[in-house]
Order: sequence, then structure tokens, then C-alpha cells
Amino acid sequence: MNEIENTETSASTRDLSNAPDMIVCEGVSKWYGDFQALDDVSATIKEQEVVVVLGPSGSGKSTWIRCINRLEHHQEGRIEVDGIELTNDLRNIEKVRSEVGMVFQQFNLFPHLKVLDNVTLAPIWVRKKPKAEAEEQAAALLERVGIPEQADKYPGQLSGGQQQRVAIARALAMEPRIMLFDEPTSALDPEMIKEVLDVMKELALSGMTMMVVTHEVGFAKEVADRIIFMDDGQIVETGTPEVFFSNPTEDRTKLFLSQIL
Amino acid sequence: MSDTPTSTSAKVLSARPPLWRDAVVLKWVTQLFLLFIVLTSLWFLTSQAGDNLEARDIPSDFNFIERPVDIQLSEGIDTHPDSGGRALWVGMVNTIRISIVGIIFATILGIIVGLARLSNNWLVNRLGTMWVETLRNIPLLVQIIFYFSVLTVLPRVTLESGPINGWFHISNKGISMPRVFLADGFYQWLVVVLIGAVVGYYVHRHRTRIHNETGTITSPTLWALAVITLFAIVGIFIHPIFSWVGSIFGALASLFDSLPVLVPQIVLSGVALVGAAMWVRKFIRKHRSARGHLSLVDDDWFRIIFTAAVSIILVFVFISWSGLSSWILNSGRDLFEVIESKFNVDGAARPFDAMRPEIIQKGKFPNYGPSGLTMSVSFAAVFFGVVFYTSAFIGENVRGGILAVPKGQIEAASAVGLRRSQALRHIILPQAFRVILPPTGNQYLNLTKNTSLAIAVGYSDIVQVGTTVFNQTGKTLPVVGIWMLFYLSCSLTISVIVNWFNVRMQLVER
Amino acid sequence: MSDLNITGVEGTVAIKPPPETPKLPPREWLKENLFSNKFNTLLTLFSTAILLMISRGLLSFIFNPERQWGSTATNLRLMMTQAYPEEQYMRVWVSVAVIFTLVGASMAIWNAGSRVTLRRLGSFLLSSGVVINILTLLAPFSGQAKLIWLIIGSAVAGAGGTLLRVSDKDKNISSLTLVVATLTAAILSLWIVPFGHHSFVFERTPRSMAETGTVALTTKLPWTIMVVIGILAYFFGKTMTSRFPSKNLRPTIIGIWFLTPPTLLYLVLRDPDFDMGHVLNTDIPIFLIFAIAGGILLSWLTRPTTGEIGRVCAALVLLAGFGMFFTPMRMIIRILMLLLATFALAAPTFAGDSKKQRRYVLAWIGVSGIITWLVTAVNTPSTIEVPGDFFLGGVSLTLLVAIFTIVISFPIGILLALARTSKMPIFRILSTWFIEFVRGIPLITILIFFSIMVPLFLPKGMELSEVSAIVIGYSLFSAAYLAENVRGGLQSVTRGQHEAAEAVGMTTSQKTFFIVLPQALRVSIPPLVGHCIGVFKETSLLAIIGLFDILYIARNVIPNQTEFLGSTRENLLFVSLIYFFFAYQMSKASQRLERRVGLGER
Ligand SMILES: Nc1ncnc2c1ncn2[C@@H]1O[C@H](COP(=O)(O)OP(=O)(O)OP(=O)(O)O)[C@@H](O)[C@H]1O
Ligand SMILES: [Mg+2]
Repeated sequence: MNEIENTETSASTRDLSNAPDMIVCEGVSKWYGDFQALDDVSATIKEQEVVVVLGPSGSGKSTWIRCINRLEHHQEGRIEVDGIELTNDLRNIEKVRSEVGMVFQQFNLFPHLKVLDNVTLAPIWVRKKPKAEAEEQAAALLERVGIPEQADKYPGQLSGGQQQRVAIARALAMEPRIMLFDEPTSALDPEMIKEVLDVMKELALSGMTMMVVTHEVGFAKEVADRIIFMDDGQIVETGTPEVFFSNPTEDRTKLFLSQIL
Repeated sequence: MSDTPTSTSAKVLSARPPLWRDAVVLKWVTQLFLLFIVLTSLWFLTSQAGDNLEARDIPSDFNFIERPVDIQLSEGIDTHPDSGGRALWVGMVNTIRISIVGIIFATILGIIVGLARLSNNWLVNRLGTMWVETLRNIPLLVQIIFYFSVLTVLPRVTLESGPINGWFHISNKGISMPRVFLADGFYQWLVVVLIGAVVGYYVHRHRTRIHNETGTITSPTLWALAVITLFAIVGIFIHPIFSWVGSIFGALASLFDSLPVLVPQIVLSGVALVGAAMWVRKFIRKHRSARGHLSLVDDDWFRIIFTAAVSIILVFVFISWSGLSSWILNSGRDLFEVIESKFNVDGAARPFDAMRPEIIQKGKFPNYGPSGLTMSVSFAAVFFGVVFYTSAFIGENVRGGILAVPKGQIEAASAVGLRRSQALRHIILPQAFRVILPPTGNQYLNLTKNTSLAIAVGYSDIVQVGTTVFNQTGKTLPVVGIWMLFYLSCSLTISVIVNWFNVRMQLVER
Repeated sequence: MSDLNITGVEGTVAIKPPPETPKLPPREWLKENLFSNKFNTLLTLFSTAILLMISRGLLSFIFNPERQWGSTATNLRLMMTQAYPEEQYMRVWVSVAVIFTLVGASMAIWNAGSRVTLRRLGSFLLSSGVVINILTLLAPFSGQAKLIWLIIGSAVAGAGGTLLRVSDKDKNISSLTLVVATLTAAILSLWIVPFGHHSFVFERTPRSMAETGTVALTTKLPWTIMVVIGILAYFFGKTMTSRFPSKNLRPTIIGIWFLTPPTLLYLVLRDPDFDMGHVLNTDIPIFLIFAIAGGILLSWLTRPTTGEIGRVCAALVLLAGFGMFFTPMRMIIRILMLLLATFALAAPTFAGDSKKQRRYVLAWIGVSGIITWLVTAVNTPSTIEVPGDFFLGGVSLTLLVAIFTIVISFPIGILLALARTSKMPIFRILSTWFIEFVRGIPLITILIFFSIMVPLFLPKGMELSEVSAIVIGYSLFSAAYLAENVRGGLQSVTRGQHEAAEAVGMTTSQKTFFIVLPQALRVSIPPLVGHCIGVFKETSLLAIIGLFDILYIARNVIPNQTEFLGSTRENLLFVSLIYFFFAYQMSKASQRLERRVGLGER
């Protein structure tokens, strides 16, 4: 942790005010039956920005992040990703899905495919890449996430941290401009968390636009440009990590921080 | 929804995409296209069949139900039915009869087989395994025919054909044994028992309350059973005083007779419409949030429209098909008249009676008389076939269910000091039963359907009778329709019963 | 086959043999397993009595001098192929040889078989010998027969005992070797033991005459050749595995397995009388037109850039294909059109670079070629002349109906299961109604309905033989049950898998084809095998609607032959044995498969 706080290349020192908008949410609301999971959520995320979403369990973080690549459909408001509005338009959904990569808490690797095939499947059939090219790229990505030697294994034969890194490689293989992470480390043992966070950090420094739901405060402090705090389906507070962690304005935020810090 | 200042412009989903790219539009177009194809194909096939039947001069109507037929059935409530409908009815009763008896015996045997497969005794275990593996892997039909061919080479029936002369006979005409049957006074006696059941219910409640309040052991079930038994015994002597109950049913019968056809039509239509309306209201209420926001996606709209459409179609069917309503009225009247006649007996009738089998010689060969409980050779072949076959499957279910109880449960039971029998009764069986029941319910369904193989050995079940009927009248399509309706209702009944148990057990779980 | 490796689906996992439980000495074993307490002793005595009664009854039935086992032996060919003409019997043997070849090769390629320790073999032989001796004592044999059987039993037991004593703990032998040895022994016995000379003269169904002759003599040479072919095919398969990667080899063999039944039936057994002029003038041109036009259309549709217009085009093709059923048109054109529509609809799923495009077009040409050939063969009259409707009967008919039913019902069942679990409510409703309706009624009503009614539902000029009608009805029935099995598998695929596939941008059909179905089908293998066994067993219902399957022959044909009047029970017992053999082997194989798959997972 100390090491993290001492790093100089903190992403939060960047000035992104002139960067183009990547994700725009305006007044997004969503109901499950009669239960409202998102309540008028509005936020804009700039290109290359790294946003960490915090909030207590059940506050709607996953729901929001899943609305952004249309795993869930929002019912009111509008979501625009890289200038494409998310509607029922098949072409838009297709485009957004290939612009947005997603990493899940439970990895969700395809257990019947080898690691290499997990990574190449979507490029070959969705991006319509030639197989050889896709495999070359996959090998490079596995190298980048630090597990080139596991390509011929099945997901079930890997450790949790390795699986999650494969999942990141799989998402990156689609060459997304945005990466969404939904609690990528909370199903992992402590010693594996670091290897995944390192990969994510490297990704953030390479200029990827990222939206991360996580409870890793260290990661948030070091990498995030902005923290968004949610509760009850609403955005309660937004701010840079320094301000957010040291000087929160809202009572709910203070309560939450007092519990996790 | 309260407006927020940041996003006043963003309340509505913006412009619709073009139709051929709209996921929702495509979804429904695809479905309607398939529906269209299915309906057109069905229409095409039926119109072909209609044309072909007309060309061959066999109209598909249901007239044969009332027309006389020349059919003699081997057994059943009526061996010389006077109409096609009556013949089919006899077949249905035969199917139901063999299914119920089969289910009971297959369950008993299945439990024995399952326990044998779990036994520590090596020999018993092996026997159980042999039983299961042999019976499971030979087609049921082969088994039924084999039993039939074995039974038909048994010796002829004679007065001394034993094994216990005058009490129990086995011969190539079947198996005959003493019979206990419901005599004329049974229905009056049943009224007494029903009253006893009501009293027993209140006694049970009362005793339970005492137990809950004072903690003394009051054995409510025992008390309730005692009350019912008391009523049953007393009923044997006093039941004639209830012969007036028949007149209630008589009145009901004449009520049904006097009602115009319009009444059931209106009642049925009303039920359909009101039911649909209530369902839609409940559905909408469930989808309305506390703040009054109603969020319905396309599937929800489909459900509402579908419900409305079904109810309107039903109303249309009820109104235009007056035959249904008059059938309801007629069969209601007939039912109540039959019940009335059951009460119409003189006072001395007994509720039960028993008789021994007898052997009579009318023509050339001796045969069993009507007095005993006789299992014909065909019945026995089908019965042994389905019971043995199903017992193998039920046995496997029982074994699997008991093995599915985690070992920890048994250990925990002995840890809290339960004896083996107590653990079995309170811990293992309740959990195993939950696993056993669903697949066993499936086996009951299979057994019922498998009795249709009776046609191979000439037992007069619905399929066999139906085949005879359409061979005589040429009305294949209507008979097949009746078969399907009959079996579907049987399947539905069994699954409803099994599901009821299932749900009850799941409630117990919580 | 050199070591204890089992190739599971997910790579190679070595299994260690479980530690052997120390054997109790016989007296204590008896005490513990049979006489541990009073109740147990009672049970033991009771079940011994039952066992003795059953075996005594069975033996005195089988060896009763009144039994006409000659009826079974004489009519073996009737039971296998019914009226298939004797002059053409070479065709049957060729078919059997093809199947033996495939079995042998597949066993090699899938690494079938396991290791059996010699000790296990020894104890098996020992107990079989003891059982033979006990049964011999129970059986109503004459003195000499009894003596011979006792000697055989003791010999077997002795061999087992010696094996048990001599061989050390982990000496083992391949189970395949055992199977081959048993087969060889059986074949040798055909050559050595003078089996009865039986044959029969086929006249007319159902009255056939039997005459003593030489079945055993005419079949022992072919069977010997079959076994040799099977063994050779095994070694051929072994060399293939060392040459080619199993990734390519296995799909090829599976494809051949799928093509084998129709090929054997329509090309070899049925010997279609192709009208070459017609084939050259009509069938081949139609196929060429479809292959070329369809190829062009598909190569356009599989271009990644085609977009929505492609979907509209595919829908139009489907509409056209469907409309063709309402206009007079050759059946082959209708079928090819529907097939093309299916390919067109699936095209975006498999779209990609030029290599993928080429492969897709080739697949289209291959499949349409096979379908054209099949439809032509089906519509061509056979040269085989038999009395009665269909040129095959007996076991062949049973296997034929079972195989075709399973193959046809597979895709239907999967589609029904997908529809029942889909997000589209109308699909769901239609599929659910169909499945529940079919599952609610007995098979026999469906078979009766299809055997009688199908001609009525066909448009004029279209004909369908009774067997085909029944296979269709049976397939629909089977598909409903199969769909339920597959649905179980589909539901076991977690929501996360769906979401992950969607998140990387797969379309619904890509997700289904690449992610969901492979996982779901793997989970449903055991119930699916069980279902196949059920289908096989229930082909016996064909006897009720009067097709000449083996049960019908055993019950209604042979017992009416003048020589063998009333020989029903003998033949029924034989039929039971045949069904039992196949069904039992299949269920054992599926249990082995289950264990194997289970081991492959982690
Ligand atoms: N499919 C669903 N149907 C009904 N309710 C749902 C569904 N998915 C989520 N919810 C509800 O929506 C609310 C928000 O859920 P969400 O998963 O977004 O929370 P979260 O902030 O991600 O929590 P956690 O930190 O535990 O993951 C929860 O109250 C949850 O119960
Ligand atoms: Mg979450």
C-alpha cells in the first residue's frame, strides 16, 4: 500500500477537461419489476479517464455498469457511448459491444474452450478476423497480462488470478476503447488480487478509458481520476480521490468511508 | 418521477431506429413469421385431410358416440356396450382401473426393490440389482407378451384347479379370489363417515390447541382417527336414516334439467372474462413501482394481449359451441341422477359385502363366475408387466433419493442422540422423499401411458376399444382425438396431484 | 493403450487405481455380509430360496424336451432380416462389414477399453465356474450332459482360481484383448462344434415353412471375416491416430458415422434402380443450379460487410422456400430451397474472412449434394423384391427405425429445447405446448395415428411408405423427450456464460452455437444416452401396428410355422435376450462415459 501511495505517476494528476466525452449518461433510470435499481443517474466520462465506482452492496453499481454495454436495458434517460446512443438499434448495440470490453466478478470464462480459444473466439467470429492473425494477437495479449505459457490449458486448470487475467485478455482482444470492470478482484484470494490489479494499472497507464467497480481503496487512490459514490441507485458524490477520501461532503459518504477504511 | 435540473431534455428515449434494425421489431417479426408458418402448415394439413376424407366418403364427426355398435369387450363395467361412446367409456374405466392398481403395487414393490438395492446383505443386494437390470433393459411390450404367453399355457380351469379350491384359483382364464365390494348401503354409510371426518377434524384442532396451550401430550391424530372409526362402526347400523340425502341430489338434477343452455354459456364466458381482467389488473399492479411508475417491456405487453385474446377466444367458443354447454347440463343432470339412485335403496342394505370365487359351466367349458375378484389373463399380463417394469425404475429412484441424503445428516442425527429408527423417520425419509417424489411422479405418468400396450394382449383399455371402434365406423380422427384428450387429462391429473405434494413439501422446508 | 491414461474431453488425466480393500477370509465375509444378525440371516435364507426357485424354474423351462429351440435357430435369418432375398445376402454382409470397420477404427481413435487386472479376471472366472456348477446341479440334465457341464464349470473355476493365485497384484490386461479373445473363441466354436443344421425356405409372410439345413454353415465364414475385418480396422485406426491429429480425425469419423446408415440402407441394402437418364437430365442439373447460385448467394452473405440487407435476403429465401410447398414443384427443389434458407439465415453467424467464406460455401455444396443424393435414392424404386411392404424386417428394421428416429429427432429436439428456453414468448409457448402435448400421450397412439392417418394429410401425388410415416411420428415423439433432456443441459449453463458471450459482442445465434450448446450438450450426455436406449427398446411397439419387427416375427410368424406351432415362449425369450444385450451394453457404456467425462473435468 505504501508503495502505491508513493508512486509519482498518479493518473489523477492528468488534466482531462479537454478530452472528448466517451460515456454520457443522462437521467438514466431502471426498474426491476416495481423495484427501482437506478434513479436518475447522470455522469460523463472522458476519454482516457479512469473512474472508480464505490458504494454499499445493492446500491446499483453493477446495474449501472451493465446498462452501459446493454446487458441490461435502461428504461428512462439516455446513454451514449463514444457518440453512439444505446437504443434497440441492432447496429448500435453491435458497435457498442465491440467498443466496450467487460470483465466480470466471476470471470465467466468459457470452460469448454482452451485459454487461447477463449481469447480468439470473439475476434474471429465477431470481428471477422483471420484465424492466424487472431491467434498472434491473442498470444501477444496473454504475454501482456503475464500468462503466455497457459494458452493451451482449459480455464478450469488455472488459478483464480490467472483466470481473471485471461478474462481481461479476452476483453482486450476485441480492441475496445472502453473497459468496464465489475468487482474484478472480489472473488480472488489476497495474493492473487495484486497480479490482477497490476494488469489493470498497466492498462490505465496505457490510456484506456476505464470504469471500475471495486472495493480496493488503494487502487482507487492510486489510479482513479475520479471517484463516483452511489447509494440507493443514485449518485451521491463525485470527486477526485484526494478530495473524496479526505474531505467527503455528504453524510452517507462519510458513513460508508468510515466502514471501509 | 421528479425532474432533476441537470437532465430536463433526457426523459424520453430518442428517435427510433429504422424498423429492420430495431431489435424489438425484429424479435416480434420473427415470432409472428414463425407463428404464421405453423398456422399455415396446420391449416394446409387439415384442409388436405378434410379433402381426402371427403373423397373417401368418411366424414369425421362424432356421431358414432351415440350410434349403436357391435362390439363385445372381454371385460369391464359393461361387456356389450350399446353405443360407441359407451364402449369408449368402458375402455377409459379399464385404463384408469389398471393404472391405479398398477401405481399402488408398483410403489410398494419399488420401495422394496430400492431398499433391497441398499441392503447390507450381499445376496439381497444382488437380487435387487438383478431385478432392476433385467427388467429395465427388456422392452415392456416384450415382457407383457411374455407373461401373457406364460399365463395362457396354464392348465384349464376346473372345480379342482386350486391352488386353494373355492378360495383362490389360477388357470388359463386368469386369477380369481374372494372379493369385498361396496354394497347398496355404501353411500348412506359414506355420509356418516363424512360427518365423522368433520367431527374428527374439529377434535383434532381442539386437541392440538390443548397441546399448544398446556404442553401435555394429547395425540390429536389418534383421537381424530378414533372418532372417525367410531362413526364408521356406528354407521354400519344407523346408515338407513340418511336415505333422504338422495332427494337433495334429485333436486339438483331437476335444476340442471330445467336450466336453459344460455346459463352455462354466460357463466363460462363470465369466468373467462373476469378471470382475464383480474389477472391483468394484478399483473399491472405488480409492475407498478411504489412511486407509481409503470414499466412494461414488450414481453409484458405480449402477456397482457395474449391473456385478453385467449379470454375473448374462449368466450367465442363458449357462445358458438352450444353443444358444450348442453353437454355440461346433461352430464350434470345424469351425474346427480345416478347419485340419487345410489341412495334409493331399502333400509336393510349393508354397506359392504364379500363373496368367494365360483366356477360355473354355462357352455362347453367351465369359467369363473361373476362372484369372485377375477383378474383376467390379459389384465394380469399387463398388470405384472407395468408393475414389475415400473418397480425397477421406482426402486432406482428410492435408492437414489436415500443416497442423496448427505452423510452429515445421519451423523448429525446420531450426534443429537436419535436412534437409528428415529433418524430414519425424522431425518432421512423426509429429505429422501423430497428427492424421490418428482421422478416417481414421472414414473406414475409413464405407467399410465404404458397401460396402452394392453392392446397387444387384448385387454380392453381405451386404445384397444378405440381401435375396434374406428375399425368398425371408420372414424379414426375423432377416436384419436378422444384418446389424446383422455390421456392428457390423466397426465394432467397425476401431475397436479404430484405437484401438490411437491409444493407442500417445499413449504415444510421453509 | 500402453498405460493407465484416460483421454477425457479436457486433456489427459492419469487415474490411480484405488487402494485395494483387504479381502476378508471367506468365513468372515459370509458372516459379515449374509449372517450378521437374525434378521439378516432370515433375509439370506429367504432370498436363497427365491434364487433357487427362479433358477430351477428357468432351467427346467429351457431344458425341457418339449422346448422347440430349433424354431429359433432355424429362423435366425428371418429374425435378423426377415424376407431379404438369399441371393442378395452379400449386401447384408457388406453392410455388417462396414459397421465392423467403423467400430474397430473408432475404438482405436477414441482409445476405447480399459485395463482389467488378472486377479479380477480370475475371480470372475472362478465365480462363473461355481455358478455354472450350481446351475448344472439344479438343471434337469441327463447323467452325461450333467457330467460334461460339471467338467466345463470346474475347468473354468479352476482356471480362475489358478489366475487368482498365480498372477501378482497389478498385472493387467486390456479389456479389448478380452473382447477379441471371446469373439475369437465364439467364432472358433462355430468351426469346431457341430451346431445343428438349420435353414428355412421363405414362402410368404406370415406363413413360412422351415426346413432343416445349414444356417451355421453358411454364416460361419462371413462372421469369421467380420471379426478379422474389425481387428484389422482397429490397427488401421491406430496408425491413423499416429498420423493425424485427433482434432481432425474424430470429426471425420463422426461424419462418416452419420452418413453410414443412409448409405448402407439406400445404396447397399436397398440397391436403388437409378434411372440414369433422369438423374442426368433432372437431378444433377437441379443440384448444380442450387450449388452454384446458392454458393454465390452464401459467399455474398458471409461477407462481414453485408449487413442487414443479407438478413432480409435470407428471410425472402425462406419465404420462397415455404411458398414452394403450396405450388406444384419437385420435392427436391422444395427441400433444397428450405436448406438454402437455413444456410442463408445462419450465414451472418459464420461470416468472416475469405477462408471462412470458402469453407461455408463448400459446406453448403457438400450438404446439398448429400441431400440431393438421399432424396433421389429415396424416390428411386428398389431392385430388391420381397413380399410385403418393406424390404427389411426383424432386427434390421428395429435398428433402422431406432437409428433414423434418433438422428432425425436430434436436431428437432435441440431446436425445441432452444425455443422453450428462448426469450421469445411465442416460440416458448409453441414449443412448450408441443412438448407437453406429446409427452402427455402414449407412443402407441402416435404410431397408430401416423400409420393410418398420414396418407390422409398428404397432398395428392405425394406418397410416404408406412415405415417412413412411422419414423416421422416416432421422431416427433422422441424429439419432445429429447428436448426436455437438452433443456436440462441448457439451464445448467450459467447466466454469466450468456453475459460474457454477449459482452464480447456475439449475436444470439453465435452465443448459442459457440458457447451455450457445446456446454449444454455435454451436460446432457447421460440422459441423452438413456433416451436413446429408450428409443431402441420402444421400437418393439412396431409389432403392435403390424410391422415385421423382431417381436412380431417371434410372436406371430414363427409360432404359426407348421413345424414350430406354438413356439412363442422360446422365441420371446430369445427376443428378450437380444434387447437385453443391446440395452445393457449401451447403459454400461454410458456409465463408463459418464465416469470418463467426470474425470476429464476439474
Ligand atoms: N435481475 C434482477 N431482478 C431484480 N432485482 C435485481 C436484479 N438485479 C439486481 N437487482 C436488484 O437491484 C439492486 C442493485 O443491484 P446491483 O447488483 O446493481 O448492486 P451492486 O451495487 O452491484 O451490489 P454489490 O456490491 O453487492 O455487487 C439490488 O437491490 C438488487 O437486489
Ligand atoms: Mg455488483
